[in-house]
Amino acid sequence: MIKKFIHQFASPKTYLFQVERAYKLILYFSIAVYIGSLIWGLLFTQEDFVQGNSYRIIYLHVPASFLSQSLYMSMAVASFVYLVWRVKLAAYLVISIAPIGAMTTFIALTSGSIWGIPTWGTWWQWDARITSTLILFIMYLGLISLHSSFSNYERADKLLSWLVIVGAINIPIIKKSVDWWSTLHQPASITLTNKPAIDPSMLYPLLGSIIGFFGIIISLVIISSKYQILLREKNKSWIKEYV
Amino acid sequence: MKLLSLELLKLKKKTRSWLGPILVFWLIMIAYPLTIEVSSESMEIGFFSVLWISILLSMMFATEDIFTEDYNDGSLEQTLINETSFAYQVGAKVLIHWLLIGIPISILSFIFSLGTTGDMVLSFLILPFAIMSSYIFLNLFVLGNALSLNKGSVLGAIITLPLTLPILIVLGKSITAIQLDINYLGFIFLLLGSLSIIIVSVPLIVSYIIRAHLE
Amino acid sequence: MFDFAFNSFHEAIYMNGHGIYVWTVVAIVMICLIYFFMRYNLKIKKFKKKFNESD
Repeated sequence: MIKKFIHQFASPKTYLFQVERAYKLILYFSIAVYIGSLIWGLLFTQEDFVQGNSYRIIYLHVPASFLSQSLYMSMAVASFVYLVWRVKLAAYLVISIAPIGAMTTFIALTSGSIWGIPTWGTWWQWDARITSTLILFIMYLGLISLHSSFSNYERADKLLSWLVIVGAINIPIIKKSVDWWSTLHQPASITLTNKPAIDPSMLYPLLGSIIGFFGIIISLVIISSKYQILLREKNKSWIKEYV
Repeated sequence: MKLLSLELLKLKKKTRSWLGPILVFWLIMIAYPLTIEVSSESMEIGFFSVLWISILLSMMFATEDIFTEDYNDGSLEQTLINETSFAYQVGAKVLIHWLLIGIPISILSFIFSLGTTGDMVLSFLILPFAIMSSYIFLNLFVLGNALSLNKGSVLGAIITLPLTLPILIVLGKSITAIQLDINYLGFIFLLLGSLSIIIVSVPLIVSYIIRAHLE
Repeated sequence: MFDFAFNSFHEAIYMNGHGIYVWTVVAIVMICLIYFFMRYNLKIKKFKKKFNESD
């Protein structure tokens, strides 16, 4: 049954018609959660004892940082699926996610730099976390430029998938860089194994903003993949029905 | 062995391909003291950073046309349909490039390090780092070249450059560890571990990538 | 939990001197998200228009 579901959903046509229904619901719900959490965090939580009001950037920086790494991992999974099972939709998703991943990494870098000015007294520091996030951003740009340099889409998809899988080694390095190297960047406040190192009054809006931002990015990925599918499947007969 | 001797013969014939990167490395290391005040303290400060970056650039230069000639004259397609596994052939190519280019550069690194720092122990410890990092960089740039097979080597180098940056970070940390005499063996093993994974996986991945180009 | 953290709207904007940093980041995030949504929606609209015209 699972195999049947995957095979059905792996068809670009089924995917397109299914997400069309879910897209608006996900988008509006996510915007509501994100804006609500932002307002809660920015205006209704008390200022931090050490950082003052500049800590409020956490509600924008942390979701972007978390998503930038998660999007790359999802690209790596999709690349693996494409290379092993030749599922076209997986290839479309890889190229759809890349620009959005670059955007979230850009947001993480700029918000982090701006946060650094009042907190660390500097907008940039060549420490492990920031440098490896910059590497991730350059990798996203490299992926986009590699794909766009080929006129043959199929070849571009295969090469892109290989590069994504090889580059996935950078993600655990970013994740663990804060723990492995002595660095200016603070360690993770929320981990799977330990109690959160953040007050609940700040934690809940942070979780809300992560969930909301996640939903918004999912919506962006959906709309980006819609465009990719339309572009690549434009000669198929079912496109007429959709358009 | 036949494969290795064939690749050795091919590379030896193209003097520019193996001598060029060594000369590039030499030039950078000679040019470095000219750009700063010639006092031993100021030379030592930036020396190792320049050393690792020179090794990186030399390896990038070494892999510039590693597949181009074979791709243009069609022998790449011939090697694909050969009996021997294509991944082995790629691995052999990389190994020969490293033997003819990486090893001399590593020895030169030792000499330049001794000349700059005057520290024999430190310079000896640089040797394994230079040997391993040159092989790792070579593999990564071969991967980049394979990705941009007919699009020019610059695109490939730019794409795989971010993958080399964590190695540069490890190399930088290892020098600090050696100078402070704290657990530099850990860094050697880390590089060794990375190298062992790269040696096996990169030729395999490169063979799939080139197959994708030629299909 | 839901007490307004500032005494006035002006204080909420100023945030003891940190407001410029916080609201700049908010602006950057909003601009990026809106730009990407508009870009893809426009691309899809253009595609549909071109597709219908060629039909």
